[in-house]
Amino acid sequence: MDFAFNEEQTMFQQTTRQYLQSKGDLAIPRNYMEGKQEILTQLWGGLAELGFMGINVPEQYGGIGLGHLSILPILEEMGRAVIPGPYPETVAFAIPLLNEFGTEEQKKRYLPDVASGKTKFTLAIIDDRKNQLKADLQGDNYVLNGAKILVAHAEFADLMIVAVRTGASNQDVSLLIVDHQLHAECQPVKSIDETRTLFTVSFSDFLVPKENLLGQESAGDQILKAGLNELTAAWSATMVGGMDRVVDMSAQYVKTREQFGQPVGRFQAVKHKVVDMLLALENARSLSYYASWTVENKAGDTFEAVSMAKSYNSEAFIRTANANIQNHGGMGFTWEFDCHLFLKRARSLENYLGSPQEHRENIAKESGWNKEKVLQYNK
Amino acid sequence: MDFSYSESELLFQTELRTWLEENLPEGWLDGNRNIPADNKGKGEFLRDWQRKLSEGGWAGISWPVEYGGRGATLIEEVIYEQEMARVKAPPVLNIIGTAMVGPTLLDIGTEEQKEKYVRKILNGEEIWCQGYSEPNAGSDLASLQTKAVKQGDKWIINGQKIWTSYAHLSDRCFLLARTENTGKKHEGITAFLVKMDQPGVETRGIRSINDQYDFNEVYLNDAVADDADIVGEVNNGWKVSLTLLSHERVGVARQTFRLQKQFDELVELAETLEKNGRPLILDPIVQQNLAIFRAKTKALLFSYYRHLTNSIRTGKPGPEGSMDKLASSELGQEMLAYAMSLQGAENTLWKEDALVDASWQRDYLRSFGYTIEGGTSEIQKNIVAERILGLPKDIKK
Ligand SMILES: Cc1cc2nc3c(=O)[nH]c(=O)nc-3n(C[C@H](O)[C@H](O)[C@H](O)COP(=O)(O)OP(=O)(O)OC[C@H]3O[C@@H](n4cnc5c(N)ncnc54)[C@H](O)[C@@H]3O)c2cc1C
Repeated sequence: MDFAFNEEQTMFQQTTRQYLQSKGDLAIPRNYMEGKQEILTQLWGGLAELGFMGINVPEQYGGIGLGHLSILPILEEMGRAVIPGPYPETVAFAIPLLNEFGTEEQKKRYLPDVASGKTKFTLAIIDDRKNQLKADLQGDNYVLNGAKILVAHAEFADLMIVAVRTGASNQDVSLLIVDHQLHAECQPVKSIDETRTLFTVSFSDFLVPKENLLGQESAGDQILKAGLNELTAAWSATMVGGMDRVVDMSAQYVKTREQFGQPVGRFQAVKHKVVDMLLALENARSLSYYASWTVENKAGDTFEAVSMAKSYNSEAFIRTANANIQNHGGMGFTWEFDCHLFLKRARSLENYLGSPQEHRENIAKESGWNKEKVLQYNK
Repeated sequence: MDFSYSESELLFQTELRTWLEENLPEGWLDGNRNIPADNKGKGEFLRDWQRKLSEGGWAGISWPVEYGGRGATLIEEVIYEQEMARVKAPPVLNIIGTAMVGPTLLDIGTEEQKEKYVRKILNGEEIWCQGYSEPNAGSDLASLQTKAVKQGDKWIINGQKIWTSYAHLSDRCFLLARTENTGKKHEGITAFLVKMDQPGVETRGIRSINDQYDFNEVYLNDAVADDADIVGEVNNGWKVSLTLLSHERVGVARQTFRLQKQFDELVELAETLEKNGRPLILDPIVQQNLAIFRAKTKALLFSYYRHLTNSIRTGKPGPEGSMDKLASSELGQEMLAYAMSLQGAENTLWKEDALVDASWQRDYLRSFGYTIEGGTSEIQKNIVAERILGLPKDIKK
């Protein structure tokens, strides 16, 4: 047993932190919010140079061939600086799904380019209620009509993995690798979290070659479940980074800000609140490590472990980000100070990939607190 | 990073499980966990259990073999605590001896003290209590007033201790007394190992909110100790007491694992209780609440392991123990409160009239002690804020 980062993880963490600091740290999301989107291209190039785009890409496709636990420290660091961009979607969704379900053809076509930083992925899984996305197979192509909403970073990603209805029943879901940059209509929507740009992506008679099907036709639900598990673990890890940062910010600020002739951090109403934040962070970190460990080791309780991390961490992130604003007084309410970046990121992640309540329903299901179990118990 | 046990750790676990199956009191594993209610019977029962553990080589897991310990690793010690919690093993009567006094003596005691006391702590021959708190010195322990004065070659001790757990069953007391009145208040304190069975020591039981007599007032009227009974040096007792606190690790592990067990029982309770003919566990709101508790108990367990990993790597216990203590005592209290809520209008029934099992009412009431004993939650928060986050200290006088 060993529950802390190993040398390699520590190295990834330190390298990421140094790199992000050299690029301006919180100035990165700030610049992005102000429309200087080239910062993202630069950042991506730098990450690829460090080898961070190919950590979990197998060696024969130009990567390092490690697992999810090795990207965990990088994700935390990105959360610490509210980094924009579809890094989790690319490394914790597209890469593992290509590794596991991709054809040899697809692996050769995409993985080396992902590892070199050339190709970025996002995903489109939520249907527009009024315009559900459907795909009809006609000859060698799927013909797509309909729209997906809340697609993150459609402007920056080169490709997206799209969940489409390919049959009559609700279960007939398939995953397609789609080059949306061709001529899908990407309409940005405004979100309070301006570090994650969201789009409505509409397709009309949009052709996707049959060979872009990821996994079997109509097996999309299962594949999606595996992929979303890993992606959810990844986003939970970024929340740990965010919480780590707000605890730091609060501790630093209340040590130096003086009122009534003393640092406000001496008042227990403030001091103890920072401790509560720290305790929440400790819990979140533990659940995140465990979830990532189950993902990498394909443990039997992966689904539950991930739901524990996501439900706890998203609520704890909001709580600590709230407290961080309060601890900074009027300063915390300003646009200029960084407190709000974390609050907004926390809110935009709260219900992304499942609300805390839904994840707790998963925990209940996985724990067997359902009818059958109880009937058995009573017998 | 690895959340699984190694082969040798698994072997250790199996060996312990087998031993427990063979040696726990008759019927214990089937839920007949009856401990005599009266003080004398309870004391004998628990002493017997402690002796059995020690004879089987299952006491002092990480203590050196030469003093009767098992010489096992810290991880194995944790596995041990986990298994003991799993079977709800009888409580360790000599908890203060095994969790604090023993490790402290092994750490900074004289060779003579180690020889004289450590083995007897492990086999339950001598039960220990901790004489720290006084009527006017609780959280502010350093303001303690009990005095020890040297007369000839003896130390004469006068004063009063309070909240001393198990003093009435104890053979010896790890006691802090003032030996110097000048200078800063924490500089004039000395730690003594005091024999309880002597004319100068009198204990009076205090009834607690769960209707038990587990803690006491201890009156010291010319109680006597020798030079050889001093731990560390004269006037160095504050440092010694901090050493003792740093050995809280085992106690915290115990609490963390007890929480896991408590959670499982909470689920069973929700499966057993019904509302309108349906088991409570089917209620979506109950499920949501249980899911929150599940995530939190798991989180505390993994945090405990993470902190343990740190102290194994650095070779010394860190201030994270305060976080573990704080979080697990608060969560334990929360879960027991929820167990009360689940029991509906009959939730206050207790003892032989309890709705399900009187231990819910008893443990619920007991849980109020969790956040007070061993340093209150507020004091733990101060420690965490100051030592881990580097926030300014309270103004003290
Ligand atoms: C079940 C149980 C078993 C115990 N066993 C033992 C034992 O075996 N040996 C022993 O020596 N003692 C024992 N104690 C005593 C225990 O250590 C003390 O009760 C505890 O340290 C608190 O001291 P106090 O009771 O004097 O409360 P006080 O210190 O008077 O505290 C009263 C309240 O004020 C708060 N407070 C005090 N100072 C501060 C501060 N600086 N900042 C913020 N809040 C503050 C406290 O948190 C508390 O809420 C036991 C207590 C319990 C409940």
